[in-house]
Amino acid sequence: MNEQTLALHGLAIKKHGDAAGIAQITGLPEETVTKHLEAAAQAGRVNKAGEKYMLAPTAAISLQSGYSRDFAEQRANAEMNAAYDDFETVNDQVKQLITDWQTMEVGGERLPNDHSDKEYDAAIIDRLGDLHEKAEPVLDRLTAHVPRLKVYKDMLLEALERAEDGAIEWVSDARIMSYHTVWFELHEDLLRILGRERVE
Amino acid sequence: MPDLRWTLRLDGSALPDKSLIGGKAWSIARMRALGLPVPPAFVVTTRACVEFLAKGDWPDGLAEEIDAGMAWLEEATGRRFGHGPQPLLVSVRSGAPISMPGMMDTILNMGICAETEEALAEEMGDAGFAHDVHRRFYDLYADIVLKCVGAEFPPEGDAESWAATLKEKSGQAIPETPRDRLFASIDAVFNSWNGRRAKRYRKHHGIPDDLGTAVAVQAMVFGNMDAQSGTGVLFSRNPITGARKPYGEYLACAQGEDVVSGKFTPQPVETMRETVPAAFDALMAASETLEEANGDVQDIEFTVQKGALFLLQSRAAKRAPAAAVRIATEMVREGVITPQVALTRVTPDQVRLLLAPRLKPGEAEAADELCRGEAASPGIGIGTVVTDSDEAERRAAAGENVILARVTTSPEDLHGMLAAKAVITEKGGSTSHAAVVSRALGVACVVGCGVGSVTAHAGQTVTVDGSTGRIYAGALAAEAPDEDAEADLAQLKDWAQAACPIPVHTPEAAPQAQVLDLNAIEGGEDAANLPRLLEGAEAATGGALATEEGMAAAIAAGLKFVVGKPALPLLLAGARAGTAHEDRETVAVSAQG
Repeated sequence: MNEQTLALHGLAIKKHGDAAGIAQITGLPEETVTKHLEAAAQAGRVNKAGEKYMLAPTAAISLQSGYSRDFAEQRANAEMNAAYDDFETVNDQVKQLITDWQTMEVGGERLPNDHSDKEYDAAIIDRLGDLHEKAEPVLDRLTAHVPRLKVYKDMLLEALERAEDGAIEWVSDARIMSYHTVWFELHEDLLRILGRERVE
Repeated sequence: MPDLRWTLRLDGSALPDKSLIGGKAWSIARMRALGLPVPPAFVVTTRACVEFLAKGDWPDGLAEEIDAGMAWLEEATGRRFGHGPQPLLVSVRSGAPISMPGMMDTILNMGICAETEEALAEEMGDAGFAHDVHRRFYDLYADIVLKCVGAEFPPEGDAESWAATLKEKSGQAIPETPRDRLFASIDAVFNSWNGRRAKRYRKHHGIPDDLGTAVAVQAMVFGNMDAQSGTGVLFSRNPITGARKPYGEYLACAQGEDVVSGKFTPQPVETMRETVPAAFDALMAASETLEEANGDVQDIEFTVQKGALFLLQSRAAKRAPAAAVRIATEMVREGVITPQVALTRVTPDQVRLLLAPRLKPGEAEAADELCRGEAASPGIGIGTVVTDSDEAERRAAAGENVILARVTTSPEDLHGMLAAKAVITEKGGSTSHAAVVSRALGVACVVGCGVGSVTAHAGQTVTVDGSTGRIYAGALAAEAPDEDAEADLAQLKDWAQAACPIPVHTPEAAPQAQVLDLNAIEGGEDAANLPRLLEGAEAATGGALATEEGMAAAIAAGLKFVVGKPALPLLLAGARAGTAHEDRETVAVSAQG
């Protein structure tokens, strides 16, 4: 995948993002992302509002249709697909953990977690640390086939350690590159690479 | 016995330091030292781990010592590790002197393999259980030792297919023999000391990196061997009433998880007298011993294997408020504890719950229950339901009794909560704003009644029971227990008066003075503000005082006295604020995880 396509791919994952955010998940330098997205904007393939870009519908379709060629090798690779199946297993556990983080059971009812119970929160962050240790080998197996995915692993660890240090918004806050945000974008990237559908 | 450098046998002959053997092994050693029946165990000491960390490999002689330790366990149990006809299974657990995240969890069923599964099936007469013991071992080994995801071990599989799955999913082969698996697990415990989380935790908390962790290896016992086997829980006194009579449950021919699962109904522990009389007598004796040694009511988990009793864990029991009062006062009369200790065994909250106004007998049964939620702050509140805090304040100022009903409360509702006889909410649990603030104010509170529940009753007169979490239509008759009428409470009050550094008066009996009402000033519901608010005051009253933090502030501010009714919660808080807490060391071992 060339730099230009990768910049558009990063934008497709972000849906609505700025050059810095796309640079962070694709591993491209920010100037490179800006250069390609500005050119794409000139050509009408990308819409720009303020600092944020969005793919034009036709560009989104042509990006999608190019994936089978761009990722032909990965899609045909049994190890990559097996690693992805294990990613899905961890994904289920991450989703359950985030639900437990956002809600708590009180008297048999699920209610929003107001984060006033520090022990409850600490136990979940501890569980997240354990889950991350189990996810690491799976991420390594995926990275063996798509080296640029390593940036996600680094960002996940960074978010985890911030949460461990007490900044609990790094567990799931959607406005920052929290553990859940990074995980979600990695999942989106993998779905596009392997041409799979999100199972909800 | 050969000279042991890296391992210790927990035979009760000595009580080694926790820093050498870890907390779990220390508890086992302590119980053995008390002469109690605990499944035999030995421990690989932190010294061995430290040597491993320095050298990057096992210290010379460690493997031989572990083999010798296993032989000792075989001898003590009359069973064989890795072989039939009576196979020995062990648990392997880490035990750092200080507990920290990221240390390896417990591995159970170590020693199971194709040969021992068959032997165990024969011995138990239950092939399905033996197969599940085997399957669960693979589960634990994959999850805990290899940190592997996505490996599933279906019950219809066998060891060969499970091992293949494990190899495929983790990239590592499971060692062939039980001995090699045991060694690999001990290795994994050592390595978990240097895991990312453990390292960060130590750095964050200033814990030295070279303490190392111990590894306890303990024989497992099974409560489902035969009709003379079973499992149960015993309290050394009744945890509901406080009566000095052991209270417990027993399930014959079952494992611990069967009791917890709720699939079977346990029998009263007295049924053991019929089926396993020797184990019953030993259990009663152990209950006495543990209570005496620990000076508190014990909650004991045990298993009976082929008629022989084994204690798995014992810790200070959780107890109901009435039991807490009765047990604390009786133990003083028995000479087991001092009055000072008794005062630390009953919390101000427990006494507040006991002395909270309650509905007169028969009232609740005859009433119409409107809704129910979680009981968040005890007491009875009767009044008109109001859904707005400004309105609650206005109507209360005009002399009306109001109940504040909100979806949730926030700091903006404080004036309404102060004015209300009770607070009820639709969302939130026992740690929500409404619950926390109501408890601080001493106002009855029920939370989490469900969306659309309480606010729908605006304008209606209701009775809120904060002790049971129920809300009734109409005004029901309530009464407040008298703290001086009940002998145990009066006794506790006597001791608390002697121990509390400042006097506590009821409003009727208070001397003439300027009494600061904390419930009437901003921030007065939060004990953290009291040092500032109490500055220069002569005397004070208010819900926030009935906590250790609150009374500590009153003592530090040099108040002449505090005012409140009932007085006992304040006196207890004052007594507790004035004394250091006893170290609630629990004697806890667990053989079954």
